[in-house]
Amino acid sequence: MSTAAAGAIDHHHDPTTSTGIPNKKLLMWAFLASDCMFFGCLISTHLIYRLHPPPGVPAARQIFSIELTSFSTFILLMSSLMMALAVNAIQKGNLRSMRASILTTILFGSIFLGCQVYEFNNFVYEKHLTITNSILGSTFFTLTGTHGTHVAIGVLWLTLMYVRSFKPSGPEAAKGTWLLLSFVHLIVFAATLVLSMYLVLHFTRAAQASGFSGGTCLSFVGSQYPAILGAITGFLALRWFAQPRGAVDFDQHNAVDVEMMGLYWHFVDIVWIVIFTAVYLLEYIS
Amino acid sequence: MSTPALAHAAPHHDAEENKFQLFVQIAMLLAVITGIEIITVYLPFASWLLVTTLVVFSAVKFMFVIFIFMHLRWDKPFCTILFFIGLILASGTMWALLKLFGAAASIPLSSAGMIDGLGLLR
Repeated sequence: MSTAAAGAIDHHHDPTTSTGIPNKKLLMWAFLASDCMFFGCLISTHLIYRLHPPPGVPAARQIFSIELTSFSTFILLMSSLMMALAVNAIQKGNLRSMRASILTTILFGSIFLGCQVYEFNNFVYEKHLTITNSILGSTFFTLTGTHGTHVAIGVLWLTLMYVRSFKPSGPEAAKGTWLLLSFVHLIVFAATLVLSMYLVLHFTRAAQASGFSGGTCLSFVGSQYPAILGAITGFLALRWFAQPRGAVDFDQHNAVDVEMMGLYWHFVDIVWIVIFTAVYLLEYIS
Repeated sequence: MSTPALAHAAPHHDAEENKFQLFVQIAMLLAVITGIEIITVYLPFASWLLVTTLVVFSAVKFMFVIFIFMHLRWDKPFCTILFFIGLILASGTMWALLKLFGAAASIPLSSAGMIDGLGLLR
């Protein structure tokens, strides 16, 4: 085939399997097909109870915030673009570009999760919509919470892949020190991410409560300085971990692993495309 | 020998470049469609028309993502068949559930419409 002639890897076909498709990719497509049915049932349940609501169900239109949800949708779409670019980069052997794209995808995924945490917080404490006090809350939180869990798993998977891309090749890998280092790398990454999200959410709440001003910023820094210092230390540590230390055991041959993760991430995006229309936008049609 | 190799390499490079551009163009298109969707819900048209428009827009976005971002366009057709088996089963289940619970005899007894219809609220 042309692959052999050009000396490159054909990422869409694998002559060593009976189907001609890499087994990992086939596994992921089979899983996604089953996940379609899972989400299909959750969305149907929500729609059935929206079409035939019991008396006393709060008006969803007065609870939802179309601005926030539109922003999350846009962010998730852009994360899908970055994921596609990450797969494209590793298929061409461009490791540096793949890492940058994966980091951006993690950032966008985290922003989406942050928006969801903010939205849930707002619904529960200000709009008094909980998972148990109405059928709208039950179906809404179950559906969007399950999707959010998928996003969180995707962010974890992306982080693991990012850390994995630093595995050294040759005798260094055999020593096992990289395993310890990568474990610390993962912990630092997770801690920095959680701290950053915590700070952004608390700052948003403080700015909402007392307006965005210099005084608000100063009092926020004063009250949250341990977390801010922790986040800054985390970012510096991540920068140290990302410094090049020789050849790594991650190249075009790992493209199928990145592509498999990409398929999962894009699936999370397409599920949100349906949820955005079925759960949010339809409520605004009078 | 080197001439054919070069001639082969150039289109390959172009194809990769085009793929990068294609991804960016598709992402921009998806963002624009999302914007149009948000505007659509505020338009003063019949509900059935707005719902149909939104469903069509969602389907278009869905197809763009699976065929371009998820590479189904370039992969073996078996991947498309496998995924569409799940998708068709899911769509069929959704359609069946919505039809079942939409029938007058199947509307949940606790629903506002049913209680109104039975005169239990008044």
